[in-house]
Amino acid sequence: MSSAQIEIQLIASLVAIACAIPGTFLVLRKMAMISDAISHSILPGIVIGFFITQDLNSPLLILLAALTGVITVVLVEYIQKTGLVKEDTAIGLVFPVLFSIGVLMIAKKANDVHLDIDAVLLGELALAPFDRLLISGVDVGPKSLWIIGSILCITVLLLLAFFKELKLSTFDKGLAASLGFSPAIIHYGLMTVSSITTVGAFDAVGAILVVALMIAPAASAYLLTTDLKKMLILSIIFGVLSAISGYWFAHWLDASIAGSITTMLGVLFLIVYLFAPSKGIIAVLYREKQQRIEVSLLTFLLHLKNHDDENERHVNHLNEHINWQKVRSKIVLDLALKNNMIMIDDSIVFLTPKGDKFTTQAIDYIITNEDAQIEGMKDDFFLFRG
Amino acid sequence: MSNKIAVKVDDLTVAYNYKPVLWDIDLEIPESVLMAIVGPNGAGKSTLIKSILGILKPIAGSVSIYGKSYEKQRSLVAYVPQKGSVDWDFPTTALDVVMMGTYGSLGWIKRPKQKQKKAALEALEKVGMLPFKGRQISQLSGGQQQRIFLARALVQDASIYFMDEPFQGVDATTEIAIINILKELRKAGKTVIVVHHDLQTVPEYFDWVTFLNVKKIATGPVKDIFNDDNLTKTYGINYKVSIQE
Ligand SMILES: Nc1ncnc2c1ncn2[C@@H]1O[C@H](COP(=O)(O)OP(=O)(O)OP(=O)(O)O)[C@@H](O)[C@H]1O
Ligand SMILES: [Mg+2]
Repeated sequence: MSSAQIEIQLIASLVAIACAIPGTFLVLRKMAMISDAISHSILPGIVIGFFITQDLNSPLLILLAALTGVITVVLVEYIQKTGLVKEDTAIGLVFPVLFSIGVLMIAKKANDVHLDIDAVLLGELALAPFDRLLISGVDVGPKSLWIIGSILCITVLLLLAFFKELKLSTFDKGLAASLGFSPAIIHYGLMTVSSITTVGAFDAVGAILVVALMIAPAASAYLLTTDLKKMLILSIIFGVLSAISGYWFAHWLDASIAGSITTMLGVLFLIVYLFAPSKGIIAVLYREKQQRIEVSLLTFLLHLKNHDDENERHVNHLNEHINWQKVRSKIVLDLALKNNMIMIDDSIVFLTPKGDKFTTQAIDYIITNEDAQIEGMKDDFFLFRG
Repeated sequence: MSNKIAVKVDDLTVAYNYKPVLWDIDLEIPESVLMAIVGPNGAGKSTLIKSILGILKPIAGSVSIYGKSYEKQRSLVAYVPQKGSVDWDFPTTALDVVMMGTYGSLGWIKRPKQKQKKAALEALEKVGMLPFKGRQISQLSGGQQQRIFLARALVQDASIYFMDEPFQGVDATTEIAIINILKELRKAGKTVIVVHHDLQTVPEYFDWVTFLNVKKIATGPVKDIFNDDNLTKTYGINYKVSIQE
């Protein structure tokens, strides 16, 4: 790997981390659309900032553009408060207008500088290593790396300091307000961080990728865990994984890095959506199938418990009596045998003491919901996992 | 009940958009009562509580807690929001939600420590939810979620408790368990204010009642003012407590 390659991956990874942190809270607050709005509407802020500073990497420009992001949020909320339109409509009204103003300003004034719409939407990650930061003549690395690095440091510090407040106001705004943690301050704090991150990442990765990096890793992590801290860590890991794999995918295809990273984010979400252990589609289908079999097993054991008559317990009669098809009867019989719950003697089925005890306990548990005695069976049976 | 006033509301008017949903409310809640707020859906019960707790800004009027503004008295007040007001799919556990009750005493930035965790566990124990402490909150039943909210209020260790429909969706056993805890709080000299929908149980559970429907209809001891006249004024229809089943 050349040093430029390493630098690009490093920048992409830092951007991914800086996006994943506010992104997690945006997803939990059901505000994914807002990040889309911010990422587009900061364009006029960037252009105006550029006219003033003549430097795309100036901190003043970043602050000006971030301010446009916050103004977007305020505008959206103001329109929404009038009660005339819903939030998504308000978002749809505000950001295209601001974005178009930015586009017109570029067309009129910024034609001859390096600011074009493609770069705005998709970024120029591949060029990032060539814009170096020189401190008294010494090359200390790419400018984007320093910018996003500084933003990331601030984000992490804020997260560590205000984790409790963020969690509380995201989960229960009312309680936060009554305890004196102003939800408005936390909300606008989060919006400011999201805007600054978006601007800082914009030049390197473009508007589309910023949105994808904020939302996709957090949405994937959400499917995998029920713990906020783990969700944050997973989002970060997913972001970095996509950034690095996306880079190599682009390298191999000789295509846009930002586009490849976004593709990787989509692929990652799809994989998680399908395979997540408890909320994923496949897990849910598998669980439903297992539960059907377990219910059959219980019905079968109950039948045995309640009928002494040998006729009722003959292997061949079972399907008629409990009304199953052949395949299902066989699966259930095998499962019961495997667990030593029944014995088959001369085609007549008997409950073993273990099977008898299991049936009693299981029915008891289902009806009374008393946990205690069933603990040992939870790992083997979905029905008892509560 | 002592003769101190715990909560005083003066000329309170609140609107979300244009039309006021609470109109010129005057209310004095004495210390150490167990009070029901009753009124039809949309009467402004939740809005009244939210305005007292500074969650909503009124257009006019003022609120005081033991004679001072709410901002100065936060630590004396605990709040149980209406259950539907939070996202139960939020990635967190029962214990963690109860711990949130300690955040007020911690203030900004400081993190909960062992002491706060211990208090939360005790509160969980009190509401019979200790075995569920590690459960993700979406995997609790409605009644269990309600108990978690109650535990979170208990952990605030306040003097005044505001509860918005704590009996919503709970079974008879849980309802009795909750009301017993509330009665205990009152016995300990706390003031408990509960939004309540089941008019049958008002005389049995509460000693004080406020009728609300945009305006305050009446407030006072249950035995004096809980009658058909006030019920009719509040609910609009001809109400007879006596013939309710
Ligand atoms: N966020 C809001 N924006 C606009 N109007 C609102 C909002 N919240 C409540 N309202 C309106 O204010 C009125 C009072 O609402 P509130 O929630 O206080 O009623 P409530 O007495 O608690 O009713 P319920 O018994 O259904 O909980 C209702 O007419 C409601 O439609
Ligand atoms: Mg209400």
